[in-house]
Amino acid sequence: MNSESASAFTLEAVDHFQGFRLLRTIKAWPPSLATTVLIGLMAIVGLVDYLTGLELSVSLLYLIPIALGVWTGGRATGYTVALASAAVWFAADWLGRQSYGHWYLPVWNTMALTVSFLVVAALLASLCEVNENLERAVAHRTRALQDEIAQRCRAEGELNQALREVREAHAELQRTQFQLIESAKMESVARLAAGVAHEVKNPLMTLSLGADYFLARKLDNDDETQLAQDMKEAVKRASSVINILLDYSRIRPPQLSLDNLSLAVENSLILVRHELNRQRITVIREFAPDLPLVQLDRARIEHLFVNLFINALQAMSPGGTLTIRAFASDIVEDAADQAVTVELDDTGHGINPQNAEKLFEPFFTTKPPGQGTGLGLAIVRRIMEIHGGTVRLTNRPDGRGARVTLQFHSKFEGK
Amino acid sequence: MTTKRILVIDDEPSVTRNLKLNLESGGGYEVLGENRARNALAAARKFQPDLILLDVMMPDLGGDDVAARLRADPLIHNTPIVFLTAIVSNKETDGHEATIGGELFLAKPVDMGELRKTLEQHTRN
Ligand SMILES: Nc1ncnc2c1ncn2[C@@H]1O[C@H](COP(=O)(O)OP(=O)(O)OP(=O)(O)O)[C@@H](O)[C@H]1O
Ligand SMILES: [Mg+2]
Repeated sequence: MNSESASAFTLEAVDHFQGFRLLRTIKAWPPSLATTVLIGLMAIVGLVDYLTGLELSVSLLYLIPIALGVWTGGRATGYTVALASAAVWFAADWLGRQSYGHWYLPVWNTMALTVSFLVVAALLASLCEVNENLERAVAHRTRALQDEIAQRCRAEGELNQALREVREAHAELQRTQFQLIESAKMESVARLAAGVAHEVKNPLMTLSLGADYFLARKLDNDDETQLAQDMKEAVKRASSVINILLDYSRIRPPQLSLDNLSLAVENSLILVRHELNRQRITVIREFAPDLPLVQLDRARIEHLFVNLFINALQAMSPGGTLTIRAFASDIVEDAADQAVTVELDDTGHGINPQNAEKLFEPFFTTKPPGQGTGLGLAIVRRIMEIHGGTVRLTNRPDGRGARVTLQFHSKFEGK
Repeated sequence: MTTKRILVIDDEPSVTRNLKLNLESGGGYEVLGENRARNALAAARKFQPDLILLDVMMPDLGGDDVAARLRADPLIHNTPIVFLTAIVSNKETDGHEATIGGELFLAKPVDMGELRKTLEQHTRN
């Protein structure tokens, strides 16, 4: 990773340097253009040589076409231009009719220049080759690195895909397990509930009839009347417990009917009244007036609220406060629809945000073994799904406990 | 006002006894309790009730079987039957009588006020 970005950096730096860019352009010239320019340059230098007659000092100018030859055509072109330059020099010298003391002087000069030009060409060519090799090596390494990165990305992608699949499979397995356990549990609970209902409700009926009998006869005083009424009330409470069991155990399709959410809340509160009293929980109701009715499966929705109340009770210490808020809000996309929101605020220990994702998973519980099965919220979510609604569990904005937010739609007609 | 005759078929003697006590002390009803489901038909023939209260869950014979026998009898088949059941929650019957599968149901424990209303509404005239 690091070496890759480092090499990218150097290549870029080279690119940004204008001189290098010009050199690269020249190198990319087509041979014909390069040849023309080389011959042109040599002719110009030869002309300058001839006209000025400065001989050796001018001869340095021949290094320009030689360098250019090496750069554009490589070693062989470099040698060729070196020889050609020596020839031009000689011609210019000869034609300029310089007077030499000895005939061998021009020959000697020519030879010396030829050798010098060739040596310069050789040196430059070697330098170019070193540079080219280096560039090739860098390019090669870069490509190798890119291949390696691509390969790693591919491997990582495959790994992620596999991980996703494993996760999905796991979630699916958990769902199935939950459903299996739920239906197995339901079946045995249903049988148990029917048995319990039969065994308990018959004696309750006898008690209730007895109370009715006393109430029907004009009793001697108010105390006796009150006593008989208390007995009836006690029977009602006991039988409502059996009813929860019956409702809970029944596997039946949702029975939705337009219903009042606040009534459902009140009924559910009655079912946990005993626990609320025992823990001295204050219940505050903030129900907006004229809440729209929503499609409710009454038994299931009460089951849902009981689950939530019990969770709140378990989170709170004695003397806590349970605030139940219900309000409607318009839905922007659909004027005919309204969202009906129920918020349950408790003053318990709140949730650990790290667990926020998992709370609704079946079997997720933070309670000690034997105290929680972790099915409560999973069932709550399923019931909300039946109602086309959603449920969230967060901490209260004021940090004093947890908040459950349920959202229903006034327009939902069932699926 | 004529007295209506009500036959109560329930395996619990305390239920039949107390229903009889309540209904008869309030006036307007004559009640016969029968605790053995197998005797239901014979009791009905003899008593000629205006309405039958029938427990659904009885050990020797189910309420549905009893009802089938009663309805097959030419003398009884027109007599209205109201089922009493422990395994229907009050929520489903909403505390009142309810019709489930075309049958009239009252959830146990039955409230006398509700029972009287149902009887007034459904007894044969
Ligand atoms: N009101 C709340 N305040 C704080 N934490 C909560 C609250 N409600 C739920 N939780 C957390 O969510 C977890 C899962 O709740 P859930 O109702 O699904 O299972 P449970 O209560 O542990 O067990 P069960 O409901 O099956 O008896 C709880 O163990 C608890 O950690
Ligand atoms: Mg719970």
